[in-house]
Amino acid sequence: MALNPELFKLKAPENTPVWVDESKCKSCDLCVEFCPTGVLTMVPDPHNILGQMVKVVHPEYCIGCRECELECPDFAIFVAERSEYKFKKLNEVKKLKGEK
Amino acid sequence: MAFNYDYYLRTDKMPTLWCWGCGDGIIMKAMIRAFAKLGWDKNDICIVSGIGCSGRFSSYIDANTVHTTHGRTVAYATGIKLMHPDKHVIVVAGDGDGLAIGGNHTIHGCRRNIDLNFVLINNFIYGLTNSQVSPTTPKGAWSVTTQYGNIDPTFDACELAIGAGATFVARESVAQAQKLERIFVKAFQHKGFSFVDVHSNCHVNFGRKNKMAQAKKNMDWIEGNLIPKAKWDKLSPEEQYKLKQEGKFPRGIIHHKEEPEYCEEYYKLIDRVRGK
Repeated sequence: MALNPELFKLKAPENTPVWVDESKCKSCDLCVEFCPTGVLTMVPDPHNILGQMVKVVHPEYCIGCRECELECPDFAIFVAERSEYKFKKLNEVKKLKGEK
Repeated sequence: MAFNYDYYLRTDKMPTLWCWGCGDGIIMKAMIRAFAKLGWDKNDICIVSGIGCSGRFSSYIDANTVHTTHGRTVAYATGIKLMHPDKHVIVVAGDGDGLAIGGNHTIHGCRRNIDLNFVLINNFIYGLTNSQVSPTTPKGAWSVTTQYGNIDPTFDACELAIGAGATFVARESVAQAQKLERIFVKAFQHKGFSFVDVHSNCHVNFGRKNKMAQAKKNMDWIEGNLIPKAKWDKLSPEEQYKLKQEGKFPRGIIHHKEEPEYCEEYYKLIDRVRGK
């Protein structure tokens, strides 16, 4: 018996490539470490256990690789589907950084 | 639209009890995506877990779940599978649960080639009880019970499974979640005993005293110890032996063959004895 594919779809907030559910995040730093383009960063947050919280600082650089979502152990970070948001090409980010 | 995990989760038990950055969560996510890819109803899945951090799998996944005694996961799962051959039984065990106290059950599950999916979460230490030495702890590593460095040779779980007769054996790490998901899909589809050795991180208990206290640092160390299967096959047996002594292992699908499955043979036997 096949399942309804709508069960596994989560609606993205408007015009957002990547978003964080802060109530589930344990600020383990893995998403920041795995992001290849520097979309995410850790900011100090005294209300959290480890004293920091993940923040989306450069959403325009997101290339939609989903690495942060795949490596998050706590179901806290989500990435929109490629058809719904215009993701950057990796080459343009490289050009901005001055790499070849 | 993003992937929604909530169908297979007990969301009232979130957030999880695991430490920050624990590989168990990554494995659970990969497993859920594999279930969704295969289109399995949650009433057809049975998760059997033992004692240890991996024991929490049966609390968080919303399916038929059994939290069993220490090391006896395969014994319980064999009973469940024989009674319900149409259900998908997934055994989740840690390295202490599946190789140390439950090593005997694992061997005989492999030998019978019963249609179970065994996911071994190998984090090289007894994490739940604060870092005692486990059968897979690498040589020279610090733990509470080996304070001057571990001298025991390392256990190769995949070789054990192949030797005991498992028909699908694979090894993958948590640092490559997409590969892990693909391996899970293949393992769950396989008819017969499938054994997946997932190298996971325990930066809190294993990493802290072995100079890798961050999750990513521990994952980089795990990645450095894994060699792709295609590259491994080109090496001579002497080189392979030498690498294994250094604690380096092949990754990917290591062994795959088709053999008669235990439940089918068992029900055939019942039919034959009844004279049908």
